[in-house]
Amino acid sequence: MDDRSLNLTTSFIDQIVVPGDVVLDLSSMSNQTIKLGGGLRQDCDTISVMKAGKLKFSKPNKYWVESSQKRYVPCVEDTILGTVVDSKADNFLVDIKGPTLAFLPVLAFEGGTRRNIPKYEAGTLLYVRVVKANAGMNPELSCTDASGKAAEFGVLKDGYMFETSTGLSRMLLSSPTCPVLEALGKKLSFEIAIGLNGRVWVNAASPSTVILVSNAIMNSESLSGVQQRIMVEKLMQKFQSSS
Amino acid sequence: MEVDRVDGRTRNQLRPLACSRNLLNRAHGSARWSQGDTIVLAAVYGPKAGTRKNENPEKASIEVIWKPKTGQIGKPEKEYEMILKRTLQSICLLTVYPNTTTSIIVQVVNDDGSLLPCAINAACAALVDAGIPLKHLSVAICCCLEENGTVVLDPTKLEEQKMQAFAYLVFPNSVLSVLPQGPSSVESEPLEHGIITSVTHGVMSVDDYLHCLERGRSASAKISDFLRRSLQSQLPSDRSKAA
Repeated sequence: MDDRSLNLTTSFIDQIVVPGDVVLDLSSMSNQTIKLGGGLRQDCDTISVMKAGKLKFSKPNKYWVESSQKRYVPCVEDTILGTVVDSKADNFLVDIKGPTLAFLPVLAFEGGTRRNIPKYEAGTLLYVRVVKANAGMNPELSCTDASGKAAEFGVLKDGYMFETSTGLSRMLLSSPTCPVLEALGKKLSFEIAIGLNGRVWVNAASPSTVILVSNAIMNSESLSGVQQRIMVEKLMQKFQSSS
Repeated sequence: MEVDRVDGRTRNQLRPLACSRNLLNRAHGSARWSQGDTIVLAAVYGPKAGTRKNENPEKASIEVIWKPKTGQIGKPEKEYEMILKRTLQSICLLTVYPNTTTSIIVQVVNDDGSLLPCAINAACAALVDAGIPLKHLSVAICCCLEENGTVVLDPTKLEEQKMQAFAYLVFPNSVLSVLPQGPSSVESEPLEHGIITSVTHGVMSVDDYLHCLERGRSASAKISDFLRRSLQSQLPSDRSKAA
């Protein structure tokens, strides 16, 4: 391996790393607090990589590995789409595509009391927020925002839900607006809810619009911004010429 | 003495390697690894909640299912499953998601010698694709021994049947590190000098086994480079600037 003597900490940033790579040497940086995000772990005096992906750094001291997976790692304050699996006395059990089921307390709704507990059947789709996500414990969810208001959380009725990877969800939620959503929004009217756990819900007046939007989103994962706009243009032309 | 192999390779030359990931729609991670004509497809599902009865709930458990190309499942398949399970348990970080199960299903597409190393490589690539946290990657190779004591790498099925003995060896991958190499490192030997698994068949002397280890280790560096390059080329490029 070649000699890396100067600027050691910058050598791996924005590069693809594989599990096992040692990216930081803590013995050379004392009296600093470093925040580690997903994909990194501390191994005595070094920080090594657990998941393959691109190593990112944001000032002043946050490091994480960005990768796109089909499963979700629960993080606090993420907004996700979950499906109810079962209901117990105190909690609903919700599947969020993570390693364990999540709990949604029956009172975690705006104005929720013991008298007006909602009745959700198995399979109900909910837009929820992650409140607690500790290692080894089931994550806890809530249908209210931090101040207790409903704020668009809750049941998503009708529409169509499909699953994608977490990387695509992040791209759809990035700001400025993702090109594919912008291009679709100019021509069609639809409602969309994107969960950071890789689930997307689309609703529109006609089923053909729903199918068009869903297919456009599913195809846009590996395309660049310009390619996405071209793809949407072609889809719209085919759609208009056939209807 | 140079041994002329049927396909014209030298003793230390490996067959062409090919790896593709994310092939299967429903699996959470999948990879197809081929060494020459030996092709293995591995699929990973998980982590999913719950462990089986006899497993330790404080750790994640790994379950391997081996599917042969033809025929019923018998003792050889169970042996492969056990070897794969032990190998993958030593590269996975089992304490990250306690009380979960990760299932790995290995399907033999074609067997032309060196089947178990190919399966181990495929399973490791599939685990990376699924985002399971790993300590490091594993690189597997088959070394066999001729009657006159020469070591031959990566045999085909015909060559394997004629050999006096062979060994399947699994090494950790070579890692990129920011740590300075040399006498200041705390460990007495770098990680690449470790060995994860060794399965031997037939009769060989201790010296011959040590030769196999040496050759296998140097060949594993090449496979490790190939694995790193294939992971780099297939990971999606950075598009999202998450809000």
